[in-house]
Amino acid sequence: MASIAVKELCKTYKGAAEATLKGLTFAFPEGKIGGLLGPNGAGKTTTISILCGLVKADSGNVMIHGLPQEAAHREQIKKIIGIVPQQIALYPQLSAVENLTYFGNLYGFKGKVLYNRIMHYLEVFGLEKSAHKEIHKYSGGMKRRANIIAAILHEPDLLILDEPTAGVDVQSRSMILQFLRRYNEQGASILYTSHLLEEAQLLCDEVVIMDEGKMILQGKPELLISALPECRNLEDVFLHYTGHALRD
Amino acid sequence: MLRLLATIRKEWQLLLRDKTGLTLLFVMPMVLITVMALIQDAPFKDYQDVKFDILTVDNDHGRLGRYIREGLASGGQFNIIDTLDGRPVTEQQARELVNNGRYKISIIVPAGATAAIVSNANRIVNDITQRMGMSVSLPVKKGADSMNVVIYFDPAAKKAFKGAIHQALDNFLTQVETDMLLDRIKQQLRNKEVQATPNDTLPIRLQAVGLKEHATGNSRQLDVVSNSVQHNVPAWSIFAMFFIVIPIAGNMIREREDGSLLRMKLIPGSYLLILAGKMLFFVGICLLQFYLMMLVGIYAMPLLDLPKLAMGHDQGATLLVAGAIGLAATAYGILIGTLFKTPNQALNFGAISIVILSAIGGIWIPLEVMPVNMQVIGRLSPLSWGLDAINDIYLRNGDISYVWKNVLRLVLTGGVMLAVAGYVEKRRMN
Repeated sequence: MASIAVKELCKTYKGAAEATLKGLTFAFPEGKIGGLLGPNGAGKTTTISILCGLVKADSGNVMIHGLPQEAAHREQIKKIIGIVPQQIALYPQLSAVENLTYFGNLYGFKGKVLYNRIMHYLEVFGLEKSAHKEIHKYSGGMKRRANIIAAILHEPDLLILDEPTAGVDVQSRSMILQFLRRYNEQGASILYTSHLLEEAQLLCDEVVIMDEGKMILQGKPELLISALPECRNLEDVFLHYTGHALRD
Repeated sequence: MLRLLATIRKEWQLLLRDKTGLTLLFVMPMVLITVMALIQDAPFKDYQDVKFDILTVDNDHGRLGRYIREGLASGGQFNIIDTLDGRPVTEQQARELVNNGRYKISIIVPAGATAAIVSNANRIVNDITQRMGMSVSLPVKKGADSMNVVIYFDPAAKKAFKGAIHQALDNFLTQVETDMLLDRIKQQLRNKEVQATPNDTLPIRLQAVGLKEHATGNSRQLDVVSNSVQHNVPAWSIFAMFFIVIPIAGNMIREREDGSLLRMKLIPGSYLLILAGKMLFFVGICLLQFYLMMLVGIYAMPLLDLPKLAMGHDQGATLLVAGAIGLAATAYGILIGTLFKTPNQALNFGAISIVILSAIGGIWIPLEVMPVNMQVIGRLSPLSWGLDAINDIYLRNGDISYVWKNVLRLVLTGGVMLAVAGYVEKRRMN
């Protein structure tokens, strides 16, 4: 079964001159790490928003772990999905423990069970010593790691990450990528977007390259690279298909 | 329930960490109501509480001048000043001193004023006695012109103040003239009824029906109606409570900007419960603000030589009204936080709209003194509903039956604002 299956997805925002998504179709198998890649304005964020049920598509279908992304299944799908947004979606004035306790409570966890889970993940991400420090006092890398913990407190089957390593140092990036691999090995599916194609090449089992609201290529990174003799890496493949023109 | 309580706790933690916000929420309103009560204390005082200096120039040296001086002085409202530096005030001096604003008012009793009144009374008595077939001829001044007591007002004096003085002086003149006329009539009757005892004063009472003020409700309430604390403390408390829209809108926009709103929406369960938790917390803050400010009115105002706030007798109704005001203010904050994209937009619109709603809603000056059209508009302001309801309890000694309509208006308005916010948020998704 596919963890995510998207078919003929179309979306035009009100007042927009052009459609953001123009019949996007792709699927990622369950238990794999999928990469959703594309230049700025390709429609990645809109796609993720539709996958999560935050934005309604004009037409097309979305299936998450076999469930259609419709009002009737939204609550069920929310339990399956964990999302790591590009922004640090945490309260800067609260400590990591306070933030995670709040989001854990919203998921229905409480007491010792929640506290133990929070402390476990803080340890996994090397934040146990800063557990009670306010988030605004964290470094960029620490914030990113805490941001990921907030998305995995309920241990979702599908983790969606929107540029989770943007602006972090090498050590934090390495820790995040290691964690994602381990999390995937435990059976979870991961959908990941990034502009760091080297990272995507290392991490993803399969990537979708999209541009101007459409899927232009899908496959395993190594196969996509080998299919084009002039390309040495995923970045070359990406540029080959999306071109060198600047996107603003 | 866990979502609700967790949200209340989270908002509380956020507020505690924001020391400046905490100060703005609680200390600033207390400063505001204190300053406003102090500033508006004098204008709100009765004229009876304020003493005015009146320059009097008595060129008559007769009964009228004495009556006017004694009458004005007896009310306790005026200090009669008839000498300056040990010398009697002259008309010229009086006019100049009033014109340059050193005195608000001056009264000039012209020479011969009492004589003119006596002559007029004699003329009437002569006329009456002649008609009664009696041969009485009291001395009457021939060819006397009409005479006026002259009043000079400070050019800046208010119309109402001038009217009150006019009225008072008119009463004194009428009283002197009536007294003199009655004296003469009594004297003539005494002369005719020789059998009457010499000390018979023939009591003639002109004022058979007098005036007496009574309270419409509880008589205890009447003396608190018009003072600056009674108006300013509730009025500016409501104004301050509505300023909760600024932190709420800022909080909503920040949550949207930093993605925590998105995170909350992606968590299974109703977002409405999170919103309800947020609302409950901020309504609680509004209530805390309200009662802190009432405590300032009760305990701090008297220390500043201001009257003590009287809170009426139905504390349940007060709590209900304060809760309804808090609910409307919180809903307004959520609406602003939903409509605007940046904290700056929300701050500017929120602050200015509250100032406008408070100005038209009778917070600054009572609705009753506004032009009729403004009164109609003002009655649409939620702040005026809140103030009306509080006044019903504090000044009219009302209970829930007095305030339920305004409470309902506040709650329904809050509901409509939340519904609009929900609609806008839903449209944003599409």
